[in-house]
Amino acid sequence: MLNYIWGGLIIFSLLFAVVNDANDIYSETWKNGEQIELIIDFPANADILKSQPIRFMLAGDSISHEARWRVVDDEVELVIPVTPTLPTHWKNVAENQESTRKQELRTTVISSNSLPGITPNIDGSATQPDSLSALTSPVETASGSKLTAQVVLPEVNFVKIRGITAAAFAMAEVAVTLALGLIGIMALWLGLMKIAEVSGLINIVVRGVRPFMKWLFPELPKDHPAIGMISLNLAANVLGLGNAATPLGIKAMEELQKLNPDKDSATNSMCMFLALNTSSVQLLPPVTLVAIMGLAVNELMVAITITTFFSTAVAIIVAKWYARRNPPLQIVTSDGSIVNIDASSDGITHSGNNPSKSEGK
Amino acid sequence: MNLLVIFILPVIIVGITAYGLVKRVKIYEEFVVGAKDGFEIAVRIIPYLVAILFAIGMFRASGAMDWMILGLKPVLGFFGFPAEVLPMAIIRPLTGSGSVGVMADMIATYGEDSIFVKMAGTMFGSTETTFYVIAVYFGAVGVRKTKYAVQAGIAADITGAIMAVVVCYWLFS
Repeated sequence: MLNYIWGGLIIFSLLFAVVNDANDIYSETWKNGEQIELIIDFPANADILKSQPIRFMLAGDSISHEARWRVVDDEVELVIPVTPTLPTHWKNVAENQESTRKQELRTTVISSNSLPGITPNIDGSATQPDSLSALTSPVETASGSKLTAQVVLPEVNFVKIRGITAAAFAMAEVAVTLALGLIGIMALWLGLMKIAEVSGLINIVVRGVRPFMKWLFPELPKDHPAIGMISLNLAANVLGLGNAATPLGIKAMEELQKLNPDKDSATNSMCMFLALNTSSVQLLPPVTLVAIMGLAVNELMVAITITTFFSTAVAIIVAKWYARRNPPLQIVTSDGSIVNIDASSDGITHSGNNPSKSEGK
Repeated sequence: MNLLVIFILPVIIVGITAYGLVKRVKIYEEFVVGAKDGFEIAVRIIPYLVAILFAIGMFRASGAMDWMILGLKPVLGFFGFPAEVLPMAIIRPLTGSGSVGVMADMIATYGEDSIFVKMAGTMFGSTETTFYVIAVYFGAVGVRKTKYAVQAGIAADITGAIMAVVVCYWLFS
């Protein structure tokens, strides 16, 4: 099942990315190549053949933006830092452009004109795009000089295709960060659990929860420490203690793996345990939800508890139903002997489930 | 309840240590023995987590979610399932950070008191990021064949999504 879902996610992501990009091209979402008219303000006595900071406005707009007039060889670029006041379309273009510098827009100035109605100092009008000869000298006014210019935003293409590639690599890194971030908290809880194991605290827990756990995990030998770890994990989940629940759950999985004859495949007990965990039995709100919703989360707790009750019940029923169709052939007890599972499995005795007897004291 | 949350972890940590001390366990030595597995387990999880997260990341980046919502909307609308909460129902089992984003988005769009935000919050609180949990738990012990764990998890997620809608309609309107 996981194989198909996994493959489906990857294949469909390419499919949908292509569809979305084709749709972008068809409906010209990015307006590639569209000429935009700007009114550019130069400081007084500016030489427009030199790179310099300027301010500009969109034609028909009154908000002034900062930018840098950048002369490279015989071309002019307008380098516009992305600020909240820029038009939404510009910000989208900046975010999705191919350039890795998402914080600025490098626009090509293809032509310029003196402001209409004012006589330019030097005569001339826009002719050849992409070259300095297309530029006219700005009009000198009291505060500085102005000219109008046609610019083209960077081209944006294949956003989703590039997006899925970037996401694949980015998430691979996130996965490692997440896993390594677990080290500290894992070590803390595994250390504490070792003390609990050796001191016999786990056995006390096991005895307390055995009747209930016996029904959920019929294949587990009586008094096995896995039962204790499972119940501690479930307790942590119920109380919304996410960062204690994961290490305890992993410890429970390790105990279950010791009983697993086929180390590559999940056992019924593992699947039941996962079912209980993914359906997330919960009585207190998870910390992240409190962080987003604040106090509003309190009135949701009744709804959450009822919902969880149903989803957990369904998870248990599904796991039970599958378990009945996948009877285990045998299990390996923690002392290494292989035991065939049948109705008498309750009678298995354990000598090796409590390492404290040999090394603890 | 809040007091319980504040006290429970320190009580557990101190309780385990104190009980060990009473039972004359060499607590420091045992702690270190147990803790040294932390690194190994974290490293063991990496390939499983990379596999799951990169596939989900690609799927989200492709914009497939929008099409899925578009396609499911009329079908679910027929049964009275509001389309507004569909993004949460789909994204919750896939990614934790993604569902936090959807949650924040919905609060901004519909306001905190909206029934849709309550439904989404209920979904958030009552289901887990199924695929992450499966990757981490099975990864930690090196189990590759997950048998029917995914089916059970997805069944729980679907039930959670439906019940969240039903219960919220029942409680809040």
